[in-house]
Amino acid sequence: MSEPVRIDDTLWEIPADARDDMRVPARIFASADLLKAIRTDHSLEQLQNVATLPGIVDAAIAMPDIHQGYGFPVGGLAATAPPDGVVSPGGVGYDINCGVRLLAAPFTHGEIDARRRGALVDAIARRVPTGAGKGGRLRLSGSDLDEVLVQGPRWLVERRGVGTAEDVAATESEGRLDGADPDRVSERARERGAGQLGTAGSGNHFIELQRVEEVIDRETAAAFGLRRGQVTVLIHSGSRGLGHQVCTDYVRAMDAALDGHGIVLPDRQLSCAPLDSDEGRAYLAAMAAAANFAWANRHAIAHGIREAIAEVLGAGAADGTRQVYDVAHNVAKLEEHGGRTVCVHRKGATRAFPGQPVFIPGSMGTASYVLAGREGSMERSFGTVCHGAGRRLSRTAAKQQVKGEALRRELEAQGIAVRAASTKGLAEEAPIAYKDVDAVVRVVEDAGLAGRVARLRPIGVVKG
Amino acid sequence: MEPSHRWIEHTAELQLELHARSEAAIFSQAVLALRELLEDDGPVTGDRAERSVEVEATDRGALLAEWLAELVFLAETEGLVPDEARDLVVGEDSVTAVVVGRTSEPRHLVKAVTYHDLELHRDRDGWRGNVVLDV
Repeated sequence: MSEPVRIDDTLWEIPADARDDMRVPARIFASADLLKAIRTDHSLEQLQNVATLPGIVDAAIAMPDIHQGYGFPVGGLAATAPPDGVVSPGGVGYDINCGVRLLAAPFTHGEIDARRRGALVDAIARRVPTGAGKGGRLRLSGSDLDEVLVQGPRWLVERRGVGTAEDVAATESEGRLDGADPDRVSERARERGAGQLGTAGSGNHFIELQRVEEVIDRETAAAFGLRRGQVTVLIHSGSRGLGHQVCTDYVRAMDAALDGHGIVLPDRQLSCAPLDSDEGRAYLAAMAAAANFAWANRHAIAHGIREAIAEVLGAGAADGTRQVYDVAHNVAKLEEHGGRTVCVHRKGATRAFPGQPVFIPGSMGTASYVLAGREGSMERSFGTVCHGAGRRLSRTAAKQQVKGEALRRELEAQGIAVRAASTKGLAEEAPIAYKDVDAVVRVVEDAGLAGRVARLRPIGVVKG
Repeated sequence: MEPSHRWIEHTAELQLELHARSEAAIFSQAVLALRELLEDDGPVTGDRAERSVEVEATDRGALLAEWLAELVFLAETEGLVPDEARDLVVGEDSVTAVVVGRTSEPRHLVKAVTYHDLELHRDRDGWRGNVVLDV
């Protein structure tokens, strides 16, 4: 693996001539310490593989939370230019439009005692199914599902009275990508997703009850409606089985079409097709549908949380719970950058246009951050920042070092109420498995990509 | 050589390595590996169920990926925890079998079966398969 060259305090580069097949450099936003951690797995080799994609422009770019994935690393982005530039389903990932939504409650941490806090976490756990394959409470007919795939959460507001128009307005792309075509979503994908609207899923997905521990940028925090001590709820989920199947279908289809397009790749999971090809257009239409489904899913989860708040704290508290914003961190979007249209693949990376809210979940037991995008992100990273703390340990290693029950007791002792569908799943997501979120966020701030607005501390966790 | 499988360290996902004397035994062993994941939190009980399965692909590695993807699909949509594959026939570009198992509500982490480092080939001792699962 080639040696990254230091460009400045927060940026490193592997030049394009490091490998014969690289078309552009690989750039990494990181501190020296984080880079050292990043180099312990295959992240940078995978980033160099991304730099070989046809039509990639500027650089394959990694954020400080990067870790090894399959095909694309997790925590990076690649922009490709039409018509010959490619779109790669693996550059979005199986969990299409996995993302985070933040709700801000009208009450403070000090205003709800431990008993009611526990009752609230219990009520959320009852109303928002977690764990793999668990079905949701919203039932959709085939034509209803088509509407959700095209319209996203707007359909839930207008036809089911779920959530509000203000929620939709406070969502990236207003919860709807254009060009979604349900006919490009397979029957298998529909079967997997139809019953899963309003469910969080398993793995690293969660719902976290938090308090605003510190306001760092008072003016922006006020604009986002956040104040010290306030209770917030962070939702982390995606398009569930529907998105997983869409990606599966199109990785397979593009893998089969590589020879026809004359594309040679260092890793089959990077399978791709020109944006302006039958396969490329079909994938973008199916991905948009899955992305809209994911926004509808987080919207439905938020509705379940408001119901839980109403049950425990009354209708006024639920009605006063506002959506701060909702951002995707696994998606490909056509955007204008540097005077031209490019397809920005964000795989474990968050859009961070200037002034836009960005949420960076830490791990259970540590902090999460609210950031605001800055101009530097448009100049240096196609309007993108990191998406989390980034994994450090494998799931097996985490389970060897931490036992789920002990972790639960430790978190409870810190005042964090834990409701987990799987004790082993809890151990796999232990704080020790993740990098230091403070260090990750410091890099994106120092690099001018986004600024810190507030730090959130968990007080309750519901996970699969 | 007894068929075997092991899970290899991977930062975020699960990498499955399979060994067996025959290619068909790799596919049978993949069933046991997936069952192990589905029963990660303990054995599950449920009604016995059988499903006829046929998958197709143009190369050996993709055939293994498609086989596992089918088992993941059945686990997610029907709660099927597979115990074995009967009447297993591995052809040039297809695999057919009757998957026998129990229907339950298993915990399962697997979102998808990736094409990253995908392998199924003969080696010195028999056959070797490698596949990375997105969890």
